[in-house]
Amino acid sequence: MGVVIAIISGKGGVGKTTASANIALGIATNNKKCVVVDFDIGQRNLDMVLGLENRVVFDIVQVMDGEAKIKQAIIKSKVNPNLFFLAASQTKDKTVLESPKVEKFIAQLKEEFDFVILDAPAGIESGFEHTIEFSDEAIIIVNPEVSSIRDADRAIGILDAKAQCVKDGNDIKKRLIINRISPEMVLSGEMLSSDDILEMLDIEILGKIPEDKGIIEASNQGKPIILNKKSSAGQAYVRISDRVCGKDVPIVNVETKSGVMSKIKRIFE
Amino acid sequence: MFDFWNNKTKTNTAKVAKNRLLVTLQSDRHSVKEYPFMEEMKAEIMEVIKKHIGVHKVEVRKETENGIDALSIEVQLEK
Repeated sequence: MGVVIAIISGKGGVGKTTASANIALGIATNNKKCVVVDFDIGQRNLDMVLGLENRVVFDIVQVMDGEAKIKQAIIKSKVNPNLFFLAASQTKDKTVLESPKVEKFIAQLKEEFDFVILDAPAGIESGFEHTIEFSDEAIIIVNPEVSSIRDADRAIGILDAKAQCVKDGNDIKKRLIINRISPEMVLSGEMLSSDDILEMLDIEILGKIPEDKGIIEASNQGKPIILNKKSSAGQAYVRISDRVCGKDVPIVNVETKSGVMSKIKRIFE
Repeated sequence: MFDFWNNKTKTNTAKVAKNRLLVTLQSDRHSVKEYPFMEEMKAEIMEVIKKHIGVHKVEVRKETENGIDALSIEVQLEK
């Protein structure tokens, strides 16, 4: 039976979809069978980040409504045989989701895959609730910035109240990724440090990702940055995916000076 | 070298952000409307009680005591 992990943030634009694509590919690289599902109904984007936009035939709403089988809707990744993708509906809106259908859909995926990664929509409305409802774990993405942290705190509050495993009396496992860290700014006191963010949100860390211009280039081409072994964000995603797969990988403090130095070195490469 | 000089004169805005967030998160967490479904839940509770007795108003508050979260529900009956 697979593990279902929701990727959430509260605020939009902090890197949820990028994280979903990279973590899913990283898990697949660990030889685990992984499916990544776009739950952002009406604003499908994960297909482009994965470079699979031309292959979408059926979406998850059609699967949940019984108009298509999972087998017909599922898309195999071009870069890793263990990675599969299911697209969001682009024409419907997120109010079409219904708990019993979502539950059945996720149960089917759990049977087939070691990991089921759900890319949540931004916000804390019904679409978000349906994404977290039947998840076993959640990964929260924040940027070191006040509005992202505040919205993440709200999203965590709802996660703690609405997830089915919480209603059943268990805790939901949740871990934080701090994305788009500028080491120079943290060092000069212009950006919140990871320690400050972890203290405020009172949550376990899963990884720290430095700001990396390569992210835009990666999504331009539909090739997740984890494939770029030289990129600092790509390396951070390798470590994060390994941790998700249960490997004991120490947290690299990307905010320290050595991080800055390696960044400078890379400029001269 | 110049960075070092600037650090001394520039205000530490990260510290400002942290202090502002600490206050805001605290008030967000204790606000009555902490959950977006609070209004919906109130309406549903009202419907259930109405089956048996006339209800004027339902108030739901989230309270935290000794680290335990609880919902306090106050039902005002119709006169």
